[in-house]
Amino acid sequence: MMPTSPTPATPPARHITARTGLALAAAALMVGCAQVPHPSPNDPWESYNRSMYRFNDTVDRAVLKPIATGYETVTPRPVRTCIHNIFSNLGDVWSGINSLLQGRGRDFVDTFGRVLFNSTAGLGGCIDIASMHGARKIPNDFGMTLGVWGFGQGPYFVLPFLGPSTVRDGVGTAVTLAAPATPTAAVFAIDNVPVRNSVLGLYIVDTRANLLEADRLVDQIALDKYSFIRDAYLQRRKAMLDSRQQGARASTADDLDRTASPADSNLPVYEDPDEPAH
Amino acid sequence: MLFPAFLQILRRAIAPCLLGVALGLATTAVGAAERTVDPKAAPNDFLGAVANNMLDAVKADPKALQGDPTHIADLVRRYAMPYVDMNKTTRLAAGRHWRQATAAQRDALVQAFTGTLIRTYSGAFTKVTADTAITLLPFRGDLQANDAVVRTTISQQNSPPVGVDYRLEQTDAGWKVYDLNVEGIWLIQNYRNQFATEISRSGIDGLIAALNAKQ
Repeated sequence: MMPTSPTPATPPARHITARTGLALAAAALMVGCAQVPHPSPNDPWESYNRSMYRFNDTVDRAVLKPIATGYETVTPRPVRTCIHNIFSNLGDVWSGINSLLQGRGRDFVDTFGRVLFNSTAGLGGCIDIASMHGARKIPNDFGMTLGVWGFGQGPYFVLPFLGPSTVRDGVGTAVTLAAPATPTAAVFAIDNVPVRNSVLGLYIVDTRANLLEADRLVDQIALDKYSFIRDAYLQRRKAMLDSRQQGARASTADDLDRTASPADSNLPVYEDPDEPAH
Repeated sequence: MLFPAFLQILRRAIAPCLLGVALGLATTAVGAAERTVDPKAAPNDFLGAVANNMLDAVKADPKALQGDPTHIADLVRRYAMPYVDMNKTTRLAAGRHWRQATAAQRDALVQAFTGTLIRTYSGAFTKVTADTAITLLPFRGDLQANDAVVRTTISQQNSPPVGVDYRLEQTDAGWKVYDLNVEGIWLIQNYRNQFATEISRSGIDGLIAALNAKQ
């Protein structure tokens, strides 16, 4: 699935794990191709997607979630926050570049100000000192950039291991994995193999640990987790894109989805079954 | 040489934050008086009072402050639910299937979905700390309209802000909330597919049972 590897000289061990993973994913595909009772227009590949979702969920429950839960239990919160902030600071570089690609100059400048401030006064990103001073994180990614450039999102598409996506966001993810200025690229730039693998593992565990709370909530409220996550993902991505297309400058992460999003034209329209026809 | 200088910078950068937290604690301790909620006021004023009363209640409850879901849910029931039109929320989520439901089924469905809404809204309040604040974004709709959106942000020092929007409808008794958006995701919108699938699989009673099984 991953088109180009960020580092040409990858150790054989990685190839093996990647290959095993892909083989497992392919097997998962062949297992379930059930009929879909309620096709959704955004999800023509639901039968494939559900199989891949089940595969991801199995891997997650067997491996990632237990590790992330353990990590959350044994690691003191300040340490976790520090580690998360360091990766998040690396991620800001790529977010900033995407703001630039989308023509959002102020977001770009603000994000780079954050990176500079956090990398120095924030001890290499450990302390998100910029947020404390009101310069909130401005999330951005290449899937969003493609959307701003006018590419349609295509069908919903569950990626192996990475989860919810669309065709457009999947391309965005592939480009991100190949891009030179992302947390993954920074990790692969480490020459010492054991160190590199440990940091990569930490990055994955940190990412997963941050989803634990959302995961708990979804478990509590979703009737069908698959369609809950799909509909939430599609809604959220649409809200993010709408806010950018209305040209509002996002000064803070919250504004980004707020300034332009619902209030006006992009509110969902519900048919009210109780209303007398008029 | 360099290190003490750096510490100095760090201390200067951190001191205002600490002071801010201390001030935040002081103001919540003093100003926790409940605001009066006026459903006939402008949407932002009405909702600001409801949401801030809710937040203050969480801050004043040590168990809720630790993120205890049952405590937060109790507070949601007390401070937020009186201003929510759950009948409308449920009706819109059920769509055309609502018409085939009997009166008893409708009541049971509203009851069951209320639990879901309470748990969803509670989720926005699990990370509250003394410095958590609700910011109301400027109202951008038509003040004369019967349907309005109030946009808010719940922000806290150590985690990213959570965007929460409320969709309101003008009723005889004033404004009522009927839909909720957490981080770009509208509640009703997110349940329409799940409702339809569940109803077609096991009927309205099956849907009610599935919702109640989540409690």
